[in-house]
Amino acid sequence: MSRVPTRAPRPLLVVAVLGIAFLALPVVGLLQRAPWSSLDDLLGRRAVLDALRVSLTVSVIAAGIVVVLGTPLAWMLARVDIPLRRLVRALVILPMVLPPVVGGTALLFALGRRGLVGQWLDRWFDITLPFTMTGAVVAATFVALPFYVMTVEGALRTMGDDLEQMAGTLGAPPLTVLRRITLPRLLPAMGAGLALAWARALGEFGATITFAGNLPGRTRTLPLATFQALESDPEAALALSLVLLAVSLVVLLPTRDRWLPTR
Amino acid sequence: MRLVVVALFIVGLLATTNCSPAGADGNENRLTVFVASSLTDVIGDLATAWEAAGGSGLLEVVGGSNHLAAQLRDGAPADVFLTADAALFDVLGPDRIPVAVLGQFASNHLVAAVPIDDPAGIRGPADLRRTDTILVACVTGVPCGDATFQRYGDLPIDSYEPSVRAVVTRLALGEADLGIVYATDVAAEPRITAAWDEPPTCPCVTYAAAAMTDNGTKFLDFLETDQARDVLATHGFNREAAPSGSS
Repeated sequence: MSRVPTRAPRPLLVVAVLGIAFLALPVVGLLQRAPWSSLDDLLGRRAVLDALRVSLTVSVIAAGIVVVLGTPLAWMLARVDIPLRRLVRALVILPMVLPPVVGGTALLFALGRRGLVGQWLDRWFDITLPFTMTGAVVAATFVALPFYVMTVEGALRTMGDDLEQMAGTLGAPPLTVLRRITLPRLLPAMGAGLALAWARALGEFGATITFAGNLPGRTRTLPLATFQALESDPEAALALSLVLLAVSLVVLLPTRDRWLPTR
Repeated sequence: MRLVVVALFIVGLLATTNCSPAGADGNENRLTVFVASSLTDVIGDLATAWEAAGGSGLLEVVGGSNHLAAQLRDGAPADVFLTADAALFDVLGPDRIPVAVLGQFASNHLVAAVPIDDPAGIRGPADLRRTDTILVACVTGVPCGDATFQRYGDLPIDSYEPSVRAVVTRLALGEADLGIVYATDVAAEPRITAAWDEPPTCPCVTYAAAAMTDNGTKFLDFLETDQARDVLATHGFNREAAPSGSS
């Protein structure tokens, strides 16, 4: 199918290039100051490897939980006529606009040892979330979930439900419709949402340090390690930033091609 | 519509949080003071005394000493820097050489503290080694963290907090069982108490002040007045460190 390429108005292009420059400049700044010669040494340090391991573990588990919790949630928001839908959706998006530190504090008051629910977790099940890797996963999931839900809900709405209706009238039970019709068509959007949510979980800082604390090998993720290194060892902070940058690009570059519309 | 709701929410948040710092007096003559977080409770009273003594208003920026030093190094505007570690004056860089320095205007020492209801039943120093309690302390690299390591060595710490105030909050909220804080924090925060009785022990943290601008030197002079010393003493700061004080 050949198309006549759209001719972009020149002013638009200029502004767009400005936008690219604005986003790319900090990365260039990071790269030109990077301590390339001592990078080997900096990255081989125990502290860096520990932080990388914690970050990957936490963000991957959080991304998994996001898919499990987020898919039904997005489906409900898009397809079910629930009361106060607008309010529910605002609540779901809230962690996206809330400063993460506030989110972490809120988590502490809800799930901390003296928190609303946390005190019962502690008393009945002997489960304490703060200062554990599970706590870090909770914090990351809290901030990442909205990104996934928004993406998938948007896709569900754009998709419409004609095919599902049709399958229903032909006698397919709801779960079969979900498995055979809805989910396969939703897969690209789920991938895109997952990539966004995972990236958000990987970069999470404020809620993590507030709710889960900061212990090497357990809750100190790459962003926490970077923040700390920034005060005492800027070179190490740069090296850590490079790791974060590299890990993010490695995941986002291929997923972007496959899952987000790129034409 | 969704956007409108979100926007309204943000506006609401801004409206409730953003009004306080700018006083009625405007900004022109105010001194910007970077304050080590362990001075959080005393800086308000110092500001009042300073204004009573005819000084202009203060704009206080509170944070971990190292964090503030890093900000100064990166060009943050400040007239005065009050730090728990005088060595930080050396890392500010060639562009930020203090106009004047007051080597030591107060000192402080570490104590082990517990939430007021002492959930873990802490009895004595041996409990610092218990692994079934949640122990929090400052991260090494910041003054309270370095002092903690000097005094107690390796502890089974559950979270390294970026500043001593964060440790205090963990204890005050009852999320941690035991924490290493400053004596002044125990005096100021009613929800925490000393874990056991012991005489003040160093290593001590000594507070130093640097004037980053000519305007700032006046505040350094003020710190040596009796009024300022009284305020510091009221909050539990020592005047001098013991001879074995920290570097």
